[in-house]
Amino acid sequence: MGRISRDQLNEIKLRGKGIIDIRLGKVSVRADGEKHLMICGGTACHASRSKPVRDALKREIETRGLSQRCKLIETGNDAFATLAPVMVVYPEGVYYVHLTPDVVGDIVSQHLIDGRPVERLLYRDPGSGRPIPRMMDIPYFSNQRLVTLRNLSLIDPENIDDAIARDAYQGAAKALIDMAAEEIINQVKISGLRGRGGAGFATGIKWELAAQAKGDGKYVLCNADEGDPGAFMDRSVLEADPHAVLEGMIIAAKAIDAHQGYIYCRAEYPLAIRRLNRAIGQARDYGLLGTDILGSGFDFDLEIYQGAGAFVCGEETALMTSIEGKRGMPRPRPPFPAQSGLWKEPTILNNVETLANIAQIILNGGDWYASIGTEKSRGTKVFALSGKVNNSGLVEVPMGMRLKDIVYSIGGGIPKDKRFKAVQLGGPSGGCIPLELLDTVTDYESITSTGAIMGSGGMVVMDEDNCMVDIARFFMEFCQEESCGKCTPCREGTKRMLELLTKITEGRGEMADIATLEELAEMVKDSSLCGLGQTAPNPVLSTLRYFRHEYEDHILERRCEAGVCPDLFKARCINACPLGQEVPGYISLVAEERFEEAIRLIRQTNPMPGVLGRVCNHPCMDVCVRAQTDEAINIPKIKRFAADIAREKGATVPFNKAREKKEKIAIIGGGPSGLGAAYYLSLMGYKPTIFEELPKLGGMLRYGIPAYRLPRDILDEEINYIIDTGVTVRTGVRIGREISVEELRSTYDALFIGIGAQRSQIIGIPGEDMERVYGGAEFLRQVELGEPPDIGKTVAVIGGGNAAIDVARTCIRMGADVTILYRRERKDMPASAEEVEDAIAEGIKLKILMMPESINKTNGRLTITLHTCEPGEFDKSGRRIPVPVPGKVVSEEYDTIFAAIGQVSDTGFIKDLDLRRGRVSVDRLSLKTNLDNIYAGGDAVTGPAMVVDALAAGKRAAVSIDRDLSAKRGERPSVEQHEKIFVTMKVPGEIVEQGMARAPKGSPHERIKDFREVELGFGGETVKKECGRCLRCDVTIE
Amino acid sequence: MKEITEAMWKEIDDIIQGHKGKRGALIPVLEECQNVCGYLPMEVQERISKGLNIPGSTIYGVVSFYSFFTMVPKGRHTIKICLGTACYVRGGKPNLDYLQDQLGVEVGGTMGDLSFSLDSVRCLGACGMAPAMVVDDDTYAQVNRQNIMAILDRYR
Repeated sequence: MGRISRDQLNEIKLRGKGIIDIRLGKVSVRADGEKHLMICGGTACHASRSKPVRDALKREIETRGLSQRCKLIETGNDAFATLAPVMVVYPEGVYYVHLTPDVVGDIVSQHLIDGRPVERLLYRDPGSGRPIPRMMDIPYFSNQRLVTLRNLSLIDPENIDDAIARDAYQGAAKALIDMAAEEIINQVKISGLRGRGGAGFATGIKWELAAQAKGDGKYVLCNADEGDPGAFMDRSVLEADPHAVLEGMIIAAKAIDAHQGYIYCRAEYPLAIRRLNRAIGQARDYGLLGTDILGSGFDFDLEIYQGAGAFVCGEETALMTSIEGKRGMPRPRPPFPAQSGLWKEPTILNNVETLANIAQIILNGGDWYASIGTEKSRGTKVFALSGKVNNSGLVEVPMGMRLKDIVYSIGGGIPKDKRFKAVQLGGPSGGCIPLELLDTVTDYESITSTGAIMGSGGMVVMDEDNCMVDIARFFMEFCQEESCGKCTPCREGTKRMLELLTKITEGRGEMADIATLEELAEMVKDSSLCGLGQTAPNPVLSTLRYFRHEYEDHILERRCEAGVCPDLFKARCINACPLGQEVPGYISLVAEERFEEAIRLIRQTNPMPGVLGRVCNHPCMDVCVRAQTDEAINIPKIKRFAADIAREKGATVPFNKAREKKEKIAIIGGGPSGLGAAYYLSLMGYKPTIFEELPKLGGMLRYGIPAYRLPRDILDEEINYIIDTGVTVRTGVRIGREISVEELRSTYDALFIGIGAQRSQIIGIPGEDMERVYGGAEFLRQVELGEPPDIGKTVAVIGGGNAAIDVARTCIRMGADVTILYRRERKDMPASAEEVEDAIAEGIKLKILMMPESINKTNGRLTITLHTCEPGEFDKSGRRIPVPVPGKVVSEEYDTIFAAIGQVSDTGFIKDLDLRRGRVSVDRLSLKTNLDNIYAGGDAVTGPAMVVDALAAGKRAAVSIDRDLSAKRGERPSVEQHEKIFVTMKVPGEIVEQGMARAPKGSPHERIKDFREVELGFGGETVKKECGRCLRCDVTIE
Repeated sequence: MKEITEAMWKEIDDIIQGHKGKRGALIPVLEECQNVCGYLPMEVQERISKGLNIPGSTIYGVVSFYSFFTMVPKGRHTIKICLGTACYVRGGKPNLDYLQDQLGVEVGGTMGDLSFSLDSVRCLGACGMAPAMVVDDDTYAQVNRQNIMAILDRYR
C-alpha cells in the first residue's frame, strides 16, 4: 500500500472491524460460519511443540477445503503456559488446551464442520472436573484485567492490519497531529504510570526532564533486555503485540522531541527479534516509521540493537554504553540520561511494558488509566507467575491485588499438596515474601515495605522443598557472575557474600558469618555504582529477615530442612525424618533378608518401630525421589515388616547404656515425647522418672489412637523396651495434685514437660455444653479406659482431622450410625487421605461444607443446626474459607455429638511458664522454657502434630538436658555411639515403572465388628519387591 | 581449532565493510562474524580491529565481557540448560549435572567430536515450561533425565 495518511489508517481499521468482531464474539455463532483459530505461537508454546499442531491443523483444514472459512492464525503470548499448546476458536471463544497433532482431526470435523466443540480437549476445573469451554470464564483469566495484554489471542503479530483494527497507531496519530508535546507529557503524568522495569520511576516526569533538556539528537530507547530470571512479560508482549511497543516509542519521541530510537533486545529472544523486525518493516512500509509520519511532519525511526548476553546491560547507563559498542559498564549519575545519555544526548529509556501502555493512555486519557489500581500505583501490572504453582504463565492484574489471590485464585495453588513457603518478587534484585505476608497487595510501596521489590514482574513461587539459603546463594551467584566488575563494592562484595553463602550451604558456616553477611550487604547496597550492585544483597537480606532459622539450622545443626544442600544430607528421606532414620539402609537390609541387622539399624534412631511403622505420617514419603518416576516407596510398611518379623523371630536388640550419671530428671507425661526423652536420657546414663496421670503409659498412642490402628500388645512391648532401659514410672500421678511443681524442681535436676494437647478445643457455638455433646479426645480416652459413654444409635462428629476420624471409626465399631460434619471441602481435611477413605469404606457418612451454628434439644434428642457453605476466598494456607450460604440452613437429629476440631494443652499446673498462643514457648533448638532447668517438647509446644515429631522432640530435649547438665559437671556431653552395620552400596539397574505396594486391609464390614487391626502387613514377596523400587539415594559414586 | 575458510574471511570482510563508519558498530559486527565462524579467535578479532580501526585490546575487552561471544569453537549443536529461577527451582541443575556426565563435557565446553556444546543460560523466559532447555533455536519444556537424551538424539 505504501505510506498512509491518517484517513487511510482509519480505513484500514474499519476494514478490519469484521475480523475483530468475530474474535470479540460480536457475531452470532453458526456451525458453518467463519472461524478464526488463534493458535498460540510464543516461545513457550513452541517449546511445548505447538508447531506440529499448527502444521497438522493447516494440512487438515486445506485437505477438507475449509481454508476460505477457517483462518488459522499463530499469535504470541504465553498466557496460561502450563496448558500449552493452546488455541482459541472464535467467535465462540472456545479454549482448547494441551493440543497434540492427533486431535486435529476431531477439532476439524467435530467443531469446524459440525459446530460442536470437542469436549475432551477443553479446560477442566481442577476441583469439580467440569469443563469450562470459554477462555474468559476460566478463573485464571476472569480474575485478570487485560490492559497491556489487551490483544491476547486477538491478533496476528505478523500482520500490521490486525493491530490497526485493534486501534494500533490511533494513539500515535492523536499524539502527532492533535497534541502538543506538553499535553502528551501531561497525560502521562496524570495517568500515574510508573516504570514497569522495576524501579517504578514516574514515566511522565522522566519524559518531562528529557523534554526540557537541550540536545540535537535525542533518543528514545526501549529496554527489552529482560534479564531477570523468572521474567517473561516483555518477551510475551514483543512476540504477541510488537506494534504496541513501536507506537509507544513514537509517542515518546514526540513528547521529548527525539527522532531516533533503539530497541535493545536480548539475543536470547530470537522470536521476539524476528517479530519485531517484521513489525518494523511493515510499519516502515506504511510510513508509520520514517519521515512525515501520517502526514504530521514528524520524523521518527528506530533500530533493533541485539544484546550479547550481559544481564548488567539491562541497567540504563550500561545499556547505552553497550549500544555505543563498548563493554556494558554503567556510568555514575549525575549526569542523568535525561540530560546526557546515549552518545551524550538527552535520552529516555523505558521498559517494554511501560511503552506498551502509552498508546492507550493517549487514546483513553490519563484519567482512565489512573482510575485503575491504587493511589500511588496506578494501572495494571503484568506478572510472570512460575515455579511451584499449578497455573504458570502471564498474569495481568490491577495494582492493589493481594498476592494471596494471585497465587491461589489465579495460580491455582501449590502442586502435589506441598506447603507454600515463599514467593520471590523482583528476581535477583528482589526478595521473598513468606506465608504470613501473603495478604500484601501488589503496589510499589506495600511490596517495598516487606523488603522485596515489585521488580519487572517475575513472581516465582517456592514450596517446602526449596531451601531459602540455597535460593539466596543462587541469586548471589547470578549477581556475582553478571557483575560488570567496574566498582569495587559490587565486584568484591558480591564475591565475598557468595563465598559466605556457599560456605553455609556446604555445612562450614559459623554464626559470625551471618553478621558479616549483613554488614557486607549494607556496604554493597550503599556504595555500588548501579542498580545491580545496589540490589544484589536484597535476596540475602530478605531471606535472613524471614527465614533466619534456616540459616541457623545450616550453621548450628548442619541441617538443610528442605533437603536441597547436598553436603548436608545423604538422602532426602533420611533428611525429612525427624528421627533421621537410615531409610535406604534398612530397606536394603530387608531386601537382603538380613532382618536382624535391619531391626538393629532401625532401632539405632527409633525406639518404637512397630508403632511408627503403623501410625507414622511419613514425611519421608513426601520427599521420596521415586515419586518422580511413579510413586513413593511405602517406607513405613517396610519398617513395620522389619519390626513384625523381629517380633516373630523373637529377635531382641540390646541397648547400650553410657556410664551412669547421678542426675535425676522428671518427665511429666508418658506420651511419645516423654517416652522419647526418658529413653535417651536413660541410655545416656541418667535416671529419668516418668509421671503419668493416666493408668498406663502411651499418651495419645494409647488414649488417642484407637486399637484398630495400633494394637495394644505392640504398643506395650515397645513401651516396655524403653522402660527396661532403666526408667522409673509413676502412673496415676498428676503434677499439681499428688505432687507439686515446686517439689519436683527441688528433687530433680531437670524437668521435661511432655503433657501433650489433651483437651478438646471448644467450637464456640450455643449448646455445646449440653449433655451428650462430648469432646473427641476425651471420648477416645474414656473408650480406652473402658468407660465409654452411651453414644446411642446416631452420632455426629464435627471436625476433619485424624482425631475426628478416630472418633468416627470408634463409634461405628460401637454399633452407631456415624456422620462426619466438616466445614470445608474433602480435600481440605487435615486427616490423611487414607484415613478418610478407610472411614468412608466402613460406612461412615461425610458431609462437607457444613458449618455448625447451634445445638439444641428437641423432645429429648439433640438437634444440630448447620449452615451449608460455599468455598469463598483463599486463606493463607491455600484453602478456601467456607462462606455460609444465606438462608441455607439444615437441622439434623443425633443421639450424640462430638467436637473434634482440635486440641489444646492444660498448662495451668505450672505458674509463670511462658506461653505462646496457649502452647509452651521454648527455644527452638534447645527446647528450654523460660524457667530454669525446665524443658518442653511435643504437642504441648507445637500443638497436635505427628508421633514421630514428639519422639524426636523427646530426643532433642534429652540431648539438650545432657548438654546443660554435663556443662555444670564440667564434662563433655554424651556422644551417641552406634554399631557400624554394613549396608550393601548398590544402585538398582534398570528402573521399571510400577506403582507403590499397598498393604492389604480387612474387609470393611467385617473389621468394624471389633477393634482388630485394620491394616495387615506386607508379605515377604511383596516387601522384597517394594524394597527393590528404592533408588538408593544414599549411595554416592566416588 | 576449527579452521576459518577463505569463504568465511570473505564474509567477515563484507560484514566489516557493511558497518564501517557507523557508530557503535562493534557489537553487531562481532555478532555477525561469530555467526559465520562459530567463534571469535584472535585472528578474526585482529581483522575486525584493522577493518574498523578499533584497538585490539578494546575488541578483546568486549569479546571477553559479553557471554555470547566465545573464543572457543562451539559444537555443531549448542545445548543451553536454563538455570533461571523457575527452572532452578524445578530441577534445572540436576539436568545440567546429568548432561555433563552423559556427554563428558563441562559447562561451557564442547565435545571432542564438536557435535555438542553445553552451556547454562540465565533464563530463557520460558518459565512456565520449567525446567527448560534450548538446542540450537529449539526450546524444550519440562526436560528431565527420562527424556533429555532422546531429545538430543534427534540432533545427532
